[in-house]
Amino acid sequence: MAKLTLKNVFKRYDNSGKKKVKNDYAVKELSFECVDGEFVGILGPSGCGKTTTLRMIAGLEDITGGDICIGESRVNDLPPKDRHIGLAFEDYALYPPLTVYDNIAFNLRAKNVSESEIQKEISRIAPLLKVDDILEYKPVALSGGQKQRVNIARAIVRKPKLLLLDEPLSHLDGKMRQVLRTEIKRLHKEIKCTTIIVTHDQLEAMSLADRIVIMKDGQLQQFGTPLEVYDDPVNEFVAGFIGEPPMNIMTVKISKQEGEFFFDFANSDVRISVPKRYYPVVKEGMSVRLGVRPTDVLIGDENSKGSKVKVAVFENLGEERRVSIRVGDEYLNLTTAEEIRYKAGDTIKLEVNAEKTHLFDINTGDRIRVK
Amino acid sequence: MARIELCNITKKFKKVTALDNINIDVKDKEFFVLFGPAGAGKTTILKTIAGIEFPDEGHVKIDGKIVNLVEPAKRNVSMVFENYALYPHISVFDNIASPMRSPLYKKDEETVKKEVYRVASMMKIDHLMERLPSQLSNGQRQRVALGRCLVREPNVFLMDEPIAHLDAKMRHFMRSELKEMQSSFNTTTIYVTHDYMEAMSLGDRIAIINEGKIEQIGSSDEVYYTPANEFVAKLLGEPEINIFPAELEMDGRGLKVRMLGQENLIDICDDVAKVLNKKGSGKLDVGIRGNDVKFSFEKIDDNYLKGTVYIVEPIGNKTVLTVSINKQLIRIIAPNDFRAEMDSSIYIKFNMDNAMFFNGEDKTFIIRHNQDHYLRR
Amino acid sequence: MNTKKLSLLTEIGRNAILALWAIFALFPLFWMVLITFKHDAEMYTTTFIFTPTLENYKAVLINTNYFKAFFDNIIVSGGAVLVSVLVGVPAAYALARYNFKKKEDLAFQILSFKFAPEILVILPLFMIYQKIRLFDTHIGLIWVYQLITMPLLIWVVRGYFEDINVEIEHAAQLDGYSWYHVFLKILLPLIKPGLVAAALLSFIFAWNSFTFPLLLSAFKVETVTVSVLKYLASDTVHYGQMAVAASVSALPEVILALIIQKHLVRGLSFGAVKG
Repeated sequence: MAKLTLKNVFKRYDNSGKKKVKNDYAVKELSFECVDGEFVGILGPSGCGKTTTLRMIAGLEDITGGDICIGESRVNDLPPKDRHIGLAFEDYALYPPLTVYDNIAFNLRAKNVSESEIQKEISRIAPLLKVDDILEYKPVALSGGQKQRVNIARAIVRKPKLLLLDEPLSHLDGKMRQVLRTEIKRLHKEIKCTTIIVTHDQLEAMSLADRIVIMKDGQLQQFGTPLEVYDDPVNEFVAGFIGEPPMNIMTVKISKQEGEFFFDFANSDVRISVPKRYYPVVKEGMSVRLGVRPTDVLIGDENSKGSKVKVAVFENLGEERRVSIRVGDEYLNLTTAEEIRYKAGDTIKLEVNAEKTHLFDINTGDRIRVK
Repeated sequence: MARIELCNITKKFKKVTALDNINIDVKDKEFFVLFGPAGAGKTTILKTIAGIEFPDEGHVKIDGKIVNLVEPAKRNVSMVFENYALYPHISVFDNIASPMRSPLYKKDEETVKKEVYRVASMMKIDHLMERLPSQLSNGQRQRVALGRCLVREPNVFLMDEPIAHLDAKMRHFMRSELKEMQSSFNTTTIYVTHDYMEAMSLGDRIAIINEGKIEQIGSSDEVYYTPANEFVAKLLGEPEINIFPAELEMDGRGLKVRMLGQENLIDICDDVAKVLNKKGSGKLDVGIRGNDVKFSFEKIDDNYLKGTVYIVEPIGNKTVLTVSINKQLIRIIAPNDFRAEMDSSIYIKFNMDNAMFFNGEDKTFIIRHNQDHYLRR
Repeated sequence: MNTKKLSLLTEIGRNAILALWAIFALFPLFWMVLITFKHDAEMYTTTFIFTPTLENYKAVLINTNYFKAFFDNIIVSGGAVLVSVLVGVPAAYALARYNFKKKEDLAFQILSFKFAPEILVILPLFMIYQKIRLFDTHIGLIWVYQLITMPLLIWVVRGYFEDINVEIEHAAQLDGYSWYHVFLKILLPLIKPGLVAAALLSFIFAWNSFTFPLLLSAFKVETVTVSVLKYLASDTVHYGQMAVAASVSALPEVILALIIQKHLVRGLSFGAVKG
């Protein structure tokens, strides 16, 4: 158990001899710090450098620049075996000829731990991961979920300072994934080990992690709690990546009529009034990207100033109901748990929840904040 | 445009029964969804209608005519395959044009061109016409596959998980788009999916399939609010419905239930009590969805049951709170800023107005409060 | 930059080794071409300096019926490949698509024809061919060449068919094509790289075949591989003429291989449907 610090970490692959690659750096200027016992998710689309980061922390990949510290000591030049790290790969990587027991014991035996000590350790770990009744089985006889449990058991039996999980749920089917996700979170509470999970699934990161590192193109976008990244995204990428159903993000032009500002949606005649708090930062004729989550688009009453719009699609999805409005090639969606009923072609007026509306710069994608 | 009937269809693969006495009657121009978990036999039903698989017993009827012995090509059906099944060696245009150039459905090149561009603009792929399928993204391939299906005017469209392989954003978008296009199809459609949101959103009627058998056929409201059994109830809704055993007990004022081994008895609605009374003794299961459970950190009244927080999972627009009572896990939908320590105490109250009651023996649906109201909608 | 120097060195080393291997592999060919221009008298000198002559070419190409053997060889090898394609492609399709009893056994049986040494079966075949009058005929050789060409073709093409998703065939059927159309319009283009490569290799194997034509034909049908033997006289060996015959007979293979080199590498290393 220890804290983990990344300071200005760079990773560059040597591309000499091969054709010029667009992006020189796999990871660039990456800095974050996990406190002792924290559960941190590294989240991003494929190719964002998240797995490279994990491999650098584990010592499987050289660091081009910057420092990685586990606890207080800098580990840049330590080989993987001396870093006291438990690593669970996404594809399990169990040794097929060995039983589950021997798989878990493998690393302890390599360190010449006595058999009675191994026995004690395994009987402590096995119930935590519910593998105590399959210890005599060989990996071929196990289901995907069981294999991943054994894999994690093998990673934590060494009492690592740091537990690294690389997409541990990606090969499991829906239901198993949910069950194991819950168990990983319970496990973390039991062993209180600083844990890093790498994933491309925002739902997984949100539900498991205390804080999330969101990466894109090798660079850190935002580091914060699930609620922070959901409610207060720093840019359009984070806003669009987090949350399901996804946030509505559309280009709008600001117009002014009788002293009031409106969002005019591009390629359509849909119009919504601008919340008053944005008045200091908007100008007539300015184009911005408007981001608003489906749950924060509201159906306005008779007095609302926005234009009347036609319902393109109404869906009753059980827990919630969803209305989609055609805006050019896209849909503006709203979802609500309320018992509303519409049909295609009905007209409604739209409003947005002023507090939960985000504006992004049309060129850089950065958030436009109100002071 | 046709009515599709399956009568007593049974199909075995070696010794495994893939389809067990399937009876479906899809009306003309209906959008009919086959919904169920992986391996339930949904795709086999679709392929039986297409003529790619042959039933061991039973009849397939298109517009009242038995077509068991008609070749796939002559049944005049068009299908979207789960993995798109595009022809890899010809362009997007030629892929979409393919059905209209076949000997059976031949059209002159003028019409072909016009029709291909009509569906291409509907699918927004008109800028991709010269590309090969390998040069497209998954979303684009899926649109091409849909285009090839929609370019004809067949008896029935068969769609096998057409949007399952898209990313979340694209899937939400395509679902709305399909729903918007639905009215312009003007043709019977049979749609296979394992996503309950697709099923509920798109289907005029939904057939829930499990292990080669039909569990229930009904509108989305029917299957969601009055599921035929616990299996159907569990399949619809996220997080999964909470189902646990309960006991009926009489006290001075009427019939009550004891749940999760708790001391206090909980009231049930009168119309429900009447039906349960008639049924008499026997095991009983109660099903309650995650948004019908209230929670509090203090005991407000006698209807609150004490439990411990098992896990708190924020998932964006809401938080899924799992509470453990007497080793039974209850999933509850909480606001997105809800936070609680694991293993701390919490009190929950079930909204019995929305509870469903199942037979504990054979897991079939018995009754819920205001049942007629849900069925009338 | 140390790493740059290192990578440059490895690059040079790698190319040097490849060049060495090329010289080693090509030298016999080069030597063969060289001696086609030598007089018999100079045959055993190992110097590269001699008076070139076209005598050998004249002796082989004009004065003998070398070209008859050449065309015979084209007829039997080409015929054998043609028959293999016509019969083998449907067979490969059946092995890839249909499930029937002992399917894998049958597939292996076909492959095992290729393992058996030709000399093992040649005697019984000789007797049978004599009886049914296939001895010394084109058809007889084409038939027996199937042992060489068919297994290769079936196994390569079968792999290609297995790579094509069966749903593509279903889709085409629902589009209104008959099976025959599906095969010609969809499947054939997709297996083309494999088919071309396998056919070419089969052709080369058939072309080079020696044991079968030596023993199963005599005067009416004679292949180049056999005709080369003529230059081994009882008292002397006309190495120069033999080299001419061998060099000329290698030409079709070289030309064919160069033309479809691209297909050859792709066809034997990749599956049919990518992406």
